[in-house]
Amino acid sequence: MNSRIILLLLAMVGLVVAFAPLPVQPIAPQEQTFRIDARQFAYSPSELKVNSGDTVTIQLISTDVVHGLYVDGYDISVEADPGQTATLTFVANKPGSFRFRCNVTCGAMHPFMIGKLIVGRNDWLYRSIGLSALALVGVVVSVKQKA
Amino acid sequence: MAKIELTRSLFIKNALKSRYPQLAIFIVMLVGYVFAILAGLIGTPVGSRNFSIVFVWIAWWAVLILVAVPFFGRGWCAVCPIPLPGEWLQRGAVLSPPDKKPKWPNLRWPKFLRNIWLQNISFLLLALFSSVLLTTPNITGIVLAVMLFAAIGLSMIFERRSFCRYLCPVGGFIGLYSQTAPIELRIKNKQVCVACEGKPCYSGNENGYGCPWDVFPGGLTKNTYCGLCMECIRTCPHDNIAINLRPFSADLAKPSTRIDEAFKAFIMLGSAMIYAGVLLGPWGTFKDAAYHVGTSAWFIYAIIFLAIIFVILPGFFTLGILKTKSALPLKQRFASLATALIPLGLMFWVAFSLSFVLTNASYIFASLSDPLGLGWDLFGTANAAWQPMLTSILAPAQTLALVGGLIWSARTAQKAANEIKTSSIPVIAFCFIATLVMFWLLV
Amino acid sequence: MKRLELISRILITVAVLEAIGTPLFIWARTPLIHAKVAENGGWSPDVIHANAGEPLTLHLTSDDVVHGFAVGQMDMQSVDVMPGKVTDLTLTFDKPGIYTFFCTRWCGLNHWRMRGTIEVSGSSSDPAPASPPLYIFLGLNIDAPHDAHSIPDGRPSVISGQQLASNLPFEQSVDYYHTHSPYQVFKELKSTSLTEAQRWDVVASIWQSNTTPESLANGQHLYAQNCAACHGENGAGNGVFADKLAAAGETSKQNMAGDANMIRQTPANFTDPARMLGASPTLLQGKILRGGMGTGMPSWGSIFTPEQIWDLIAYLYSFQFEYQR
Repeated sequence: MNSRIILLLLAMVGLVVAFAPLPVQPIAPQEQTFRIDARQFAYSPSELKVNSGDTVTIQLISTDVVHGLYVDGYDISVEADPGQTATLTFVANKPGSFRFRCNVTCGAMHPFMIGKLIVGRNDWLYRSIGLSALALVGVVVSVKQKA
Repeated sequence: MAKIELTRSLFIKNALKSRYPQLAIFIVMLVGYVFAILAGLIGTPVGSRNFSIVFVWIAWWAVLILVAVPFFGRGWCAVCPIPLPGEWLQRGAVLSPPDKKPKWPNLRWPKFLRNIWLQNISFLLLALFSSVLLTTPNITGIVLAVMLFAAIGLSMIFERRSFCRYLCPVGGFIGLYSQTAPIELRIKNKQVCVACEGKPCYSGNENGYGCPWDVFPGGLTKNTYCGLCMECIRTCPHDNIAINLRPFSADLAKPSTRIDEAFKAFIMLGSAMIYAGVLLGPWGTFKDAAYHVGTSAWFIYAIIFLAIIFVILPGFFTLGILKTKSALPLKQRFASLATALIPLGLMFWVAFSLSFVLTNASYIFASLSDPLGLGWDLFGTANAAWQPMLTSILAPAQTLALVGGLIWSARTAQKAANEIKTSSIPVIAFCFIATLVMFWLLV
Repeated sequence: MKRLELISRILITVAVLEAIGTPLFIWARTPLIHAKVAENGGWSPDVIHANAGEPLTLHLTSDDVVHGFAVGQMDMQSVDVMPGKVTDLTLTFDKPGIYTFFCTRWCGLNHWRMRGTIEVSGSSSDPAPASPPLYIFLGLNIDAPHDAHSIPDGRPSVISGQQLASNLPFEQSVDYYHTHSPYQVFKELKSTSLTEAQRWDVVASIWQSNTTPESLANGQHLYAQNCAACHGENGAGNGVFADKLAAAGETSKQNMAGDANMIRQTPANFTDPARMLGASPTLLQGKILRGGMGTGMPSWGSIFTPEQIWDLIAYLYSFQFEYQR
């Protein structure tokens, strides 16, 4: 087969891998509450997992200085002084992997005070892995053709 | 794809040959650099509100790794202010060569140090202390000042730009990565150089200085050590030097067999992965270990860091290529095939940098108005809020970079393997696995 | 081209000197008050001079985390002192004296030690001598144990107490409230025909009658900002710093012996009925004013006004009594 056709096919498969909607397991949305301790410079727990559609409540407890919690992708945040637990409630309607980070300068390593929130499944990671595998196939094939 | 000679255009050639546009850029860069040192030393200790941290590790780094290196190779070296004061003293002039040259020792750099090992070490030193360096203004100020004074000092003793060529931590990796760039400086006609007397491109004449990078332009086949300073274009009496546009990674078609360069590739690859995990990951213990320099936790972190770079990554790589048949001995096979890690490493750095740059670029606005954190508001943006930018395109951009890097490195591996008549499969597999790890860390 | 060379050299020199000189000059003439966490030195400078009647302008910046600034016993809104930013504040002091300024946003275990003084000079009549606080006046040993010997079964209810109290013979004045612990009043009610539970309800109603909803709200606000970090948001002595205080207390045990003294190293538990009901408002006022000897309890005497302290104390009892809001 002509390598151009193969590459074209791979590109189309690539588009499917990148953009085709993946099956979603319908799990009834629940209410989930998390108590997150914040200290210089980490959250505990630092990895949260919820299902798509859940109503998520995060209780932010600062244990040393004033910290914040900002969720990438959702663009929402909350800030807590030690002694005053702050609450952030939102509906996790965007699936995927999102970092949450401190948005109140809390010392030197503040820009790296990061946690991870997974809503549903981290589809983009699987798509990326799929695209990488496809890319490899494309490279190997196109060279074999030349040989 | 053919090369396009940019210096065919008289406008471009004259702009590059003239010392005045270059000097204007130099002055701006030097002023910015000196101001960054000052800001680091007397400005607020809060990194996100200090010009030195924001403009060095966010603004300059972003331009360097996202634009300058991929598209202009050693383009940053062309405008970098670090060598300038020393070089002006060494030359005795800031423009054309003076009538009377100053009497500096101009010693030749020692032979056993004429490699990039010192640059590998200086980069690693910065990398091991990076958590403190990237977040503490006075440390950044001190490091910038040390580099400036080291360059001046070396120019007083040794010939040419010894700091740039043999010591600068930045030069180490942008030299390696410049092999992938679509721009190059090369001679037009080899026979002209053969017939040329005196080789003023290397030894200088009344129009300009001999190559400060200790490169013989007539023999340039790769970008790695040419700093795009344009001196040779000024000195060449035969107009035999050109700046060309060319396909990406043309230099990688001739893989280098130097071990120092091979390890530089591993250093860059490994540190990008470690940074992605430690700085952008959710694991507080690693960040604590990386930041608290001098504690036992940090020593363990440093040992693991160095083990990943010098043992684990090269170890797996070597295991992979051990069984493959080839005419070349293992050492040269290793170095030659490691060329594939150059585009991979570049894309790893692009993907990693995109994350913290897009997250924190908004600090640039405030820093322009209040660079020292003294309460100024020069442009009215001192109270610009921190706001991550373009977050919706971050993951797709990173995927594009990493998949692109994988394809690029796989192609490079194939070409390198072909050159030495061996299989590229182990190297491609290594690149694939490394890419998967990077995806898991970043996405 | 000698002239161009000369001009270029001058240009470079001037540009670089300007880049260093101008900011340096401005920096040297910018008087900033730096806030750092107490472990790194606190306020610097920590002594400010002013003249009575003249406006004092302060430029505050933080060198690390979020801090705040307020002057004790002055009617002012606290201002936030943000890392790397400058907050400008103008104050005018009517009377000369030594004022205490303090940090108002929790910045670590030793947040409360972040204090400094403003020395306000000026001609004045002799300052009025301060009267000693009530516990000194009464000769009350605020460090002695003060556990109540009998505690209620549940939380005493103010509403029930109010109905019962209306039938009682004696007046409860403010002084009575200040100088008696709930347990003492409970004992005095023995002479009535009420059950123990009813007597506690009456005590609760007496306590409520000595405060107002505004005072309670103010006390709650003060508690959240100043006390909750150690004493816990629900008053149980388990605030975010409780563990660190205990650890710090370990080293200061010195020649005190035993677990009994270790208890003193952790923040007081206001939900403990024995401890709280055995404490009179005067005792609590003394502890708040003076702080704890050898413990992490700050002294608030120069910070809170007397009204603020009574409001806070009223709120503390709400951990015991079922107040109506």
